[in-house]
Amino acid sequence: MNIFRREMKAHRWNLVFWSLGMVFMVMAGMAKFAAYEQAGQSAAEIMAGLPKGMQVIFGLTGFDLLKASGFYGVLFLYLAVMGAVHAVLLGANLISKEERDRTSEFLFAKPASRHRVITGKLLAGLANVVILNAVTWWSSVYFVGYYGKGESVGHEIALLMVGLLFLQLMFLSIGAVIAGSARKPRFASGRATTVMLVMFVLYYVVNLNEKLDFMKYFTPFKYFDAALVMKDGLDPVFVALSAVIIGASVVGTYRFYSARDLSI
Amino acid sequence: MNAIETSKLTKYYGKSRGIVDLDMAVGEGEIYGFIGPNGAGKSTTIRTLLGLIHLTSGSATVFGKDIVTSGPEIRQEVGYLPSEVFYYDDMRAIDLLRYSASFYDRDVKQTEARARELAERFDLDLKRKIDDLSYGNKKKVGIIQGLAHKPKLIMLDEPTGGLDPLIQQEFFHLLREENAEGATVLFSSHILSEVQKLCDRVAIIKDGSIIRVDEIKTLLETATKRFKLDLVSAPDPSMFTLSGVTDLAISNHSVDFLFHGRLNDMTKLLAGLDLVDLQVIEPDLEEIFLHYYQKEE
Repeated sequence: MNIFRREMKAHRWNLVFWSLGMVFMVMAGMAKFAAYEQAGQSAAEIMAGLPKGMQVIFGLTGFDLLKASGFYGVLFLYLAVMGAVHAVLLGANLISKEERDRTSEFLFAKPASRHRVITGKLLAGLANVVILNAVTWWSSVYFVGYYGKGESVGHEIALLMVGLLFLQLMFLSIGAVIAGSARKPRFASGRATTVMLVMFVLYYVVNLNEKLDFMKYFTPFKYFDAALVMKDGLDPVFVALSAVIIGASVVGTYRFYSARDLSI
Repeated sequence: MNAIETSKLTKYYGKSRGIVDLDMAVGEGEIYGFIGPNGAGKSTTIRTLLGLIHLTSGSATVFGKDIVTSGPEIRQEVGYLPSEVFYYDDMRAIDLLRYSASFYDRDVKQTEARARELAERFDLDLKRKIDDLSYGNKKKVGIIQGLAHKPKLIMLDEPTGGLDPLIQQEFFHLLREENAEGATVLFSSHILSEVQKLCDRVAIIKDGSIIRVDEIKTLLETATKRFKLDLVSAPDPSMFTLSGVTDLAISNHSVDFLFHGRLNDMTKLLAGLDLVDLQVIEPDLEEIFLHYYQKEE
């Protein structure tokens, strides 16, 4: 519990800034909806007239942009990216920072097993992503409700936020396992971010090329695609796959980190 | 029961040698010196005993507990101060000491009280942030976090770097007090005078293996002696080719050398000289250390 408390305290300002960033993103995104809605049908026609590639890049496909829920669906991709960046950096940083900052000789000379240290750190990571998710959820409900003029979107937002949480947990654990297995911990955050960016590029590649649809399993950004989640709900296959990735990454973090020599 | 016991303890970093077949036994209540130059394997031994790195082969116990299976239990009884200290820059010294205390079974308040007592003794302001402390003061934090929980075994890896002579002296007093209360001390250093001042027994480590273990007293009483001669006239250097003479220095009418051999042979040599003054001195640990190193080579 002491390690959990220490990590929560160490990351408190980081969490505050990310939370403010999420609130600002939702607020600014939905404020644009107000302007877009005023332009009415003509703006929708301009968007519909964009080439498919452009629509994919901006995440416009499959949404009615004249409705607050549709506009929020477009915005969700950006929230997902922010949530993923936060989580992957957090996961990598939590595990690698003791060695990177050379405090590992202090911490691991204490009577705590490596398992206990990892558990404290991962629980702090979990708490951080849950709080960020809750802030995003609250701000989404508030601002979509504010600009949506009575449109009922609570259920869709709830589904998307559950999806976002899975995405965050996946990237938290991926960041952790990359740091846990890294021989040079100071590069762990960079590597974890690169992995996340490759997955994000893959998301676009899959969207742009239908022949590569089978590759959707390799990018968590496809698992909770807003258009599909808002239409059909969460896909049990992707939920199960997410759970497997999270479980495997967490087990891998414990195994790799416990088995290797600390870099001192 | 020994405080530390290792049997053929070996650690390789990939293909690089750390320690090889290291056998060591440190008795409870001892102050045990561990000397050798940088890279000899002192830190590797301590880090392996603490579980910071994993052994390659062999075994080791601390207070009878296996270092592989009982790491946290062992560390409950250990206080450790490394050669370089790094702590959380965003914390105040008192927060770090509280965090440190929170890991031990001992009552946190008692440990904190002891930490405050030690901070006063070492003149350390606990309210200051770690980031604002000088290296010497960070080292004081290191001493306090290592000793505040009253460990039964104190492991020190080149601990005096960054400490000024007065604080070093106070630190040594503290170690002697802890030892008098029953604590075992493993003191690794390449500064031999420190080991000589503090330790009961000493192990000399070279290339990952212990080449000699002896009481400090015995090492100092070794047959190696330093001879300092003042002569009436400049001597002929060829007179000092006697077997066992090393470290020979001749300057005008003075001759200085180490001798390890039959004293009768030496007295015969001295009888042939026109002496003004003769001193036979016990060599200091540094000289003995070099002697063993040269002998091994």
